[in-house]
Amino acid sequence: MAIMKALVYLFVYPGLLFLFVYSTFCEWFDRKLYARLQNRVGPAYTGRAGILQPIADFLKLLFKEDIIPENADRIIFSILPVIGVATVATAGLYLPLWNYDVSRTTFNSFQGDIIVVLYLLCLSTVILFLSGWHSTNFFSTIGGVRVLTMLFGYEVPLFLSVLSPAIVADSWRLAEVANFYQDFPFLLFFQIIGLFVALISLQAKLERTPFDIPHAETEIVGGTFTEFSGKKLAFFRLMTDIEMVVGSGLIATVFMAGFAGGLMGSLARFVLKTLIVIAILSIIRATFSRIRVDQMVVFSWKYLTPLAILQLLVSIIIKGVIK
Amino acid sequence: MKLRPGAFIPELLKHLFKKPATVMYPFEKLNIPKDFRGTPVLKPELCIVCRACVRDCPAFAIEIETLSEEEKKYKMTIHNDRCIHCAQCVESCPTKALFMDDGYELSTDSRRKLKIAYVYSRPKKTAQQSSEK
Amino acid sequence: MKKIKIPIGPQHPALKEPISLRITVEGEVIKDADVRLGYNHRGIEKLAESRTYVQNIYLMERICGICSHSHTTCFVQGVESLCGLEVPKRGLFIRMLVCELERIHSHYLWLGVAAHEAGFDSLFMYTWRDREVVMDLLEIISGNRVHYAINTIGGVRRDLSEVQKEKILEGIQFLKKRMEYYTNLGTTEPSFVARVSGVGILPKEKAMSLCAVGPTLRASGIASDIRKDDPYAAYDEIPFSVCTATSCDVLGRVVVRIKETMESIKIVEYLVKNLPSGEIKVRAPRKVKEGEAVSRYEAPRGENIHYIKSNGTDKPERVKVRAPTLANYPATIEMLKSGFIADIPLIFAAIDPCICCAERFVEVIDTKNENTQVLTMAEIKKRYSKSQGLKKGSSVWPL
Ligand code: SF4
Ligand code: SF4
Repeated sequence: MAIMKALVYLFVYPGLLFLFVYSTFCEWFDRKLYARLQNRVGPAYTGRAGILQPIADFLKLLFKEDIIPENADRIIFSILPVIGVATVATAGLYLPLWNYDVSRTTFNSFQGDIIVVLYLLCLSTVILFLSGWHSTNFFSTIGGVRVLTMLFGYEVPLFLSVLSPAIVADSWRLAEVANFYQDFPFLLFFQIIGLFVALISLQAKLERTPFDIPHAETEIVGGTFTEFSGKKLAFFRLMTDIEMVVGSGLIATVFMAGFAGGLMGSLARFVLKTLIVIAILSIIRATFSRIRVDQMVVFSWKYLTPLAILQLLVSIIIKGVIK
Repeated sequence: MKLRPGAFIPELLKHLFKKPATVMYPFEKLNIPKDFRGTPVLKPELCIVCRACVRDCPAFAIEIETLSEEEKKYKMTIHNDRCIHCAQCVESCPTKALFMDDGYELSTDSRRKLKIAYVYSRPKKTAQQSSEK
Repeated sequence: MKKIKIPIGPQHPALKEPISLRITVEGEVIKDADVRLGYNHRGIEKLAESRTYVQNIYLMERICGICSHSHTTCFVQGVESLCGLEVPKRGLFIRMLVCELERIHSHYLWLGVAAHEAGFDSLFMYTWRDREVVMDLLEIISGNRVHYAINTIGGVRRDLSEVQKEKILEGIQFLKKRMEYYTNLGTTEPSFVARVSGVGILPKEKAMSLCAVGPTLRASGIASDIRKDDPYAAYDEIPFSVCTATSCDVLGRVVVRIKETMESIKIVEYLVKNLPSGEIKVRAPRKVKEGEAVSRYEAPRGENIHYIKSNGTDKPERVKVRAPTLANYPATIEMLKSGFIADIPLIFAAIDPCICCAERFVEVIDTKNENTQVLTMAEIKKRYSKSQGLKKGSSVWPL
């Protein structure tokens, strides 16, 4: 029975299947919202209001010709997209969604899982770099280098801002952090700066405008994805979508008091809160123009990191006051 | 110049609740303005076979063949696959036998289908007129 | 750091037409740039020699899709001066009206393209949505959105009615409001300004010595505009000012184009309100007197020059076209140097390149010893058959 439950947990809910379906829904939501902000219609034909369009795109890509560059390492080149999906989907398992118990440590909820999630999300970025590097194409190489350059920019503020609510909650466990803020929701007001920094860093992590520098189409073609096609590209797109869900889930957990309630209650809260985060990300995407990679690094060290440190100080003071 | 971060946001959010500007083309169509230059069409009864249109067409899209000299029978082929819709033929025609209709959905799967042929005899009246001259 | 050469084009998402920019970069910084043309040669000048003057109007129109009216006007003006035709005032006014509407449409389009190259897709969508208004106006006036075909030798082909006038004034008001909004937005949104200001510097002296034209030149602080310097049509009667900027960068080019749009809107208003009555065209002879003519025209992208040589028949002996983009290439190379890779599309887009307009002949360069050679069509065909192992007489391009 326990095995059955674990399997359902891994593959159905909130594992792969749920992540797949929900991430395509989120992509549709993002695309539709982005289009409406630009006075367009967005996806319109596949399914009701184009809701099946991301799945259709995914299926279409699966059947497309799959090309591996001559000079590329075949094995690494083919395996990277799958590892990418695996890392972000694994990160998704640690979100405190329905299947956890605060009083007990389980394999998917333990002290320090917040670090594991951040680490796995970071790994996916490294995979993007590797895939760019292994494509042996000028554009991919430049894209890969840009991925790494950006990583050094946004990773520090992201870590600092996501960890500061955890400091107040006095726990490195996502479920406990969420529970803490369910008990003291007013404390979240003091995390506003952190939320702001985290949203912007997440935008950078997801490589969306204004930080879509590594695959800036008009500059370096597809960037890291230039040589990827067919199934591999489909998996990379799935990876980005799942990363978006997991990233916004993470922010919803630490800054918006998580997802309490039973099966349906937690699901509803999860959907609502992640969609709010994704909507904000979409608005950011529509508002700005892409910046240069040097400007991005300067921006994150000049503004984002000091803000994150400020948030850290605020958190420490609050913690002192509570004690 | 003062910089305002997020200067675009009010405009973007305002449009969130407006109808999209997109015209869902095959399902809804725009109005075609008067005098739109669509495809050239011949009114065979007016043509006096002066060949001014053939001479002036920049795309060599009009072709007139003589089917029978005695009966004054002619065949005009308008090659819509070559036509660039400039309406020069309409302007060159002395009898206003050509006009532009408002058709713009020309695409088909074969360029042969775009050829339009008109077989006609030269009207008697104009024939007499020209013989009088 | 190692220097690498990256090819931008002939096929690249930032380029709407084929051209090859070979950029030598060190990390993200551009060290050197080189432009190779000739991927889109269409033989228009040769073709023009085998067509009558009337047919050539429509051929010239197809040199460019955006400034189609510029090329016809330029050509038609040359032919008119050869024939010694005096175009009626009303005809000239309608010609200028279409010309200014075309400038508005072109600059709106350019603003969208620049925004897209900078990754600012929302601005791109909005400007192109509003561009539809001016496209519709042109369609109402001429019967088509892109190839207006309104010029003919000796005047214009279509008159303007009162209803059309009203519609134009109405549409212009909307465009004016929107352009004011974009001016505000384009110069205050920090992420966009950060991308365009200080990028692609072209100092005044360089712009002068490299013979840049149009907005590229005016953004370097030189007030040169054919409409003012060498007025054609009836531009000498119309009050307008030449717009310049002194920042010499891409932001300056954005500002110049925005100001020019506002200026064009004013000109359109003036033209519609002061439209003289009378004929719109005079009859033109089919055969043109022997002689040569050079015609200049301020296209949205800069100075456009047509040279026409007539031998007394109904077909020109030689037509030579110098499109504005060609004049801006040397300046582009200068601008690209010491920029970032991320700036390439923006700098290149800032000259508003219309690549196929500028393609005039094909030169074959031997990459081993840099020898150049001009080939005839027959020679190209021969070489192609040889390289493909085709038999003599078989079709070179089998369909
Ligand atoms: S519209 Fe122009 S191209 Fe078409 S048939 Fe008439 S003259 Fe020829
Ligand atoms: S110009 Fe008019 S009358 Fe003359 S051949 Fe053509 S259609 Fe007939």
